[in-house]
Order: sequence, then structure tokens, then C-alpha cells
Amino acid sequence: MEAKVKQIGKPLTPSLHTALRRWRPYLWGLLFLLPEIIIFSVFQWKPIVMSIYYSMTNVDVIHGNSFVGFENYRRVFEDDAILIAVKNTLYYVFLGLVIGFWVPSVAALALSELRWFRGTARLIVYLPNIVPAVVLYGMWKWLYDPIGPVNQFLGWLSIEPVRWLTDKMWAMASIVFMSTWQHFGATTLIYLAAILGVPKDLYEAAEIDGARVWHRIIYITLPSIKMIFLLMFVMQFISTSQSYEAHLAMTDGGPNNATLTYMLHVVKNGFYKFDFGKASAMGVLMFVVLTSLSVALYRLQRKEDHA
Amino acid sequence: MDSRERGMISNQDLRNPIVRVVYTVMVAALAGLTVTMIYPFLTTIFNAFKSKRDIFTFPPKLLPQEWVWTNFTEGWEFISFGKYFLNTMYIFGGTMFFSILFIGMASFSLAHLSIPYRKGFTLFFMCTLLIPGSTYMIPNYLNLKELGLINTYWALWLPAAANAFWILLLKNFFDELNKELFEAARIDGASELRCFLQLAIPLSMPIVSTLFIFGFTYVWNEWFWTGILLSDADKYPIATAVYKYVISGENNSIGVNVQFGVLTIVMLPPLLVFILLQKQIIRGVNLSGVKG
Repeated sequence: MEAKVKQIGKPLTPSLHTALRRWRPYLWGLLFLLPEIIIFSVFQWKPIVMSIYYSMTNVDVIHGNSFVGFENYRRVFEDDAILIAVKNTLYYVFLGLVIGFWVPSVAALALSELRWFRGTARLIVYLPNIVPAVVLYGMWKWLYDPIGPVNQFLGWLSIEPVRWLTDKMWAMASIVFMSTWQHFGATTLIYLAAILGVPKDLYEAAEIDGARVWHRIIYITLPSIKMIFLLMFVMQFISTSQSYEAHLAMTDGGPNNATLTYMLHVVKNGFYKFDFGKASAMGVLMFVVLTSLSVALYRLQRKEDHA
Repeated sequence: MDSRERGMISNQDLRNPIVRVVYTVMVAALAGLTVTMIYPFLTTIFNAFKSKRDIFTFPPKLLPQEWVWTNFTEGWEFISFGKYFLNTMYIFGGTMFFSILFIGMASFSLAHLSIPYRKGFTLFFMCTLLIPGSTYMIPNYLNLKELGLINTYWALWLPAAANAFWILLLKNFFDELNKELFEAARIDGASELRCFLQLAIPLSMPIVSTLFIFGFTYVWNEWFWTGILLSDADKYPIATAVYKYVISGENNSIGVNVQFGVLTIVMLPPLLVFILLQKQIIRGVNLSGVKG
């Protein structure tokens, strides 16, 4: 592009000349955009578009790819593990919401009422977020050990020890506890900011009018953070439905597929069995579900911004 | 107490015995929560100081009976911390260089330069925020393979610059910068490149430093994707190395106490960053609340 501009002084065909003059003011703007446009095209849009192509291809790195139509999709639906994976994913999302959703909101409410050490408590609640994933796994494998600290604590309460990671009943819940421990602090801080943003005069006025503390929470605090609640709900849904790393590291999908999530199944099909076609088809199916959800989230956000 | 400082509960309420009981329970619950937050850190760190015999005593004790320092030196050697740390920093450096340069230029263009179809370009970037990354993980891998970037750091550096969320953050920050400032610089003969490098970037240090924290956290954490893309074990970042050699148990030649030594070492840099930069980090959390 620069080379072309340098030629302006030389005689050019009139049409090219006017075209260049028309684009001249945009030169720097477009030049600055160009690298990012290339990066986005090559590393984001191309794989996104290509996922449809790969989902209909038998990907063979050695003998070359061949078009197979909907064969990959048929194999996805005939896979017995897929139903288990979908069920497990929904169960994980459900547990994540049951355990992980109320904790941050209650913690934020409590923190906002703390009169001393609020800053310190805020930092401590956030602290688990900074633990690198691999350290988290090592840490919790130890805590969950059959004779580890968690079972020891249960022993004090005279509760039978639980085989956290190897019991089909508990394996998924164990992973939910672990990731709730790590992530709820960040959500708490977001709620906390919203709660502290509620004008204090409202409470003052309500109190003068005789509203109880409980009523103030229900009628003033909760309505003011309703939108954040909804946003966090959808965001948590989208992020937990995609999880696989903790499941891979903690239990490798076991025991007996009890923690095999949908994305872990994709990863195993793709990177362990090298069945890239089927894995891509699974990705496209996931894409349809999650993208409609995130479009819904976007609408919500827009609504909040306008409110 | 200043009336502006009050929350839902006023001093008046606290004279009510029921409210007082509930408040006390709440504070106690928060104290319990705090202990739950801190305890796993303490076990990890104290286990790293235990001797081999000490770590397997039943029931497990939090504090070591005798303090052993060699777990750290052994762990450091075992995981070749120096080598993998340098790899991680190399990945981090490249990631930040390409991200800040390309994302910064694009954001600067969207905020302060005249371009046609501004809305179209913005959509071209921002639409990707709505598409969850893991759904095209496999094609992403095949694409990088086709480009011949597998087992090179380019496969990590360049895609990192395709980050719409960072464009959003930087562009929003640039939008707040005074237009007249750039006009004045242009009149004085500064090129757009100079406006960007010597005005926009230095003035945006608050957001750039937040992005550096995001980038560091990401690079220090990421173990799975890097392990897939880099087939040569000598190129691993520290997280992948720890996963392969300590967590997944491919190599169990070290004791549990030494494993905790490794974990403690790996946890320290983010902890240090957190202690030094807590204000920026907390601000970053609230920024990521707007992310889809």
C-alpha cells in the first residue's frame, strides 16, 4: 500500500488517481487496522468457518482429507458415550449453579455489611483465584486424599470418610467444590461492587419508613443487582458447560465416565483418538447451543446498559 | 458513624437482639469462609517443609514436625525451574508484544483515526466475543498445523493478538483520551505512528498494566493448550511441565513432599504479583465482569 502511495506523483490513469485520492484520508486508519484484520481472519474467523468444513470431512493427515457429508454427525449420535457426556455436563452445570451461584451473592451481602477488615476479607476471598490451575489440582488431590484433611475433618464430625475422586457419586461434586473454591471470589467482588453502589439514602429512607433489615435487602438491594445476577447466571452457564481441564487433570473423566464432560469427550476424540472429523462435528453442535446462549447474554447486557 | 458510611444495617438496628444475633452469625460464617480460603494454601506450603516420614503420618498434621528446606532445592532441580521459567517468560514476552502492538494499533485506529465502515470493522472484531472459544478448538488446532506453526511459539504469540475483549478494553480507554491532544501533535508534525507510540500508549498505562496482569495470569496458568501445541518437551512453559511431570504422574520419581515444594515454587510468582499489584488486579476483576 505504501509503495502505491509513493507513485502518486507519477502520471497514473485518471481513474486510479481519483480512487487513490478518495482513499488517501483513510490510509493511516486502514494501515493501523490491517495487522489485526489479518490476525483475526487467520486465527479466529478461518477456524470458525472451517469447523463446518472439517465436521463434514474425514480428516486424515497422511492420506489427505475426503468429504464424507453428514457421516461424522451420524457417528456422534451413534456414540453411546455422548449421552453420558451431555448428561454429565448438564449435571456439572447444575451442581455449579446450585453450589457456586448462591455462595458469592451471600458472601457479597455479608462482606458489604462488614464494618471492620472489609478490605482484608475482600483480598482473602479473592486469593484462590491467583492459584495456577496445576497447583490447584495438586493441592486438591491432597485435600481429597482418602486419608487427607477433608476426610479427617469429616472424622471430627463423626461422618464416614468419602472416596472423593474415585466414588462415582462424589467425583463430579468434588470438582465443583474445587472450582467453586477457586472462582467464587471474583464473582463475589463483582456483586460486592454492585451492592456497594446502591445509594445509601435508600436504606436511610426505608429505615425511617419502618422497613426491617430483611425487607431492605429484599426490596432495595436485590432489585438493584438483579441484572448482574442474571448476567452472572448466563456467564457461569456458558463457562461451566465448556469445562474439561479440571476433569481431565483430576479424574481423567472417570471413574467409569462419571466425570466425562462434553468438551472432555471432544478433546479425547480429537487429540487422543485423532478423530478430528467427529470432534469437529461435536464442536459445531456445541457452537449452535452456546452461541444462541451468548447472543441472549449480549441482548441482556445491552438491556442493562440502556437501563 | 458517618451516615454516608452505613449499609443496609444501621447502628439503630444493631440494638435489636435478633439483628445482632444474625449479624454475629454472619461474621462467624465469614470467618469460617476465610479459614476455608486460607487452609489449602497453608497445607500446600507447610507440606513443602515436611520430611518424607512426616508427610505420611496419620492423621495428617498441618505443621511439620521438623522443618526441611531441601524439598525446594530438590523440586527446583527436578522440574528444571530455570529452563521452564525462561520458556514461560519468553511466551509471555511475545504474547504481550504482539497483543499490545496489534490490538493497540487497531484500537487506536477505531478510536482516533478516520476509517471507512467503522461499524463493520468493529463488528468484524466484536462478533467473536459471542463465540465460545472451545467450540472451534479442533479446527483451530488443524489450522495452526496447516500453517506449520505447531511446536513453535508463533502458535501461541499470534493467536493471542486475536482478542476482541482486549480490543474492547483498549478502545474504550483510547476513546476517553482527548482528541485535541492528537490534533496538536499532528499539527506539530507528528506521524500517526508517533501519536500512537509516544502519546496513546504512555497515556494508557493504567489499562496496559491491567492487560499485562491478564496476560501474565493467562500464560502462567495455561497448561493444556500449550501441551497440545508444543510437542517438544524442552519448549514447555512451567505449567505444562508441572502438569506432565508432577500432576499427571507420568514421572513419579519424587516424593510427595518434594511435589509440594514444586507446587509452592510455582504458586509464588502469581502470589508476589498479587501482593504487589492488588489494586490493579481488583480493578481488572470488575472489568472482566463486562465480558461475555
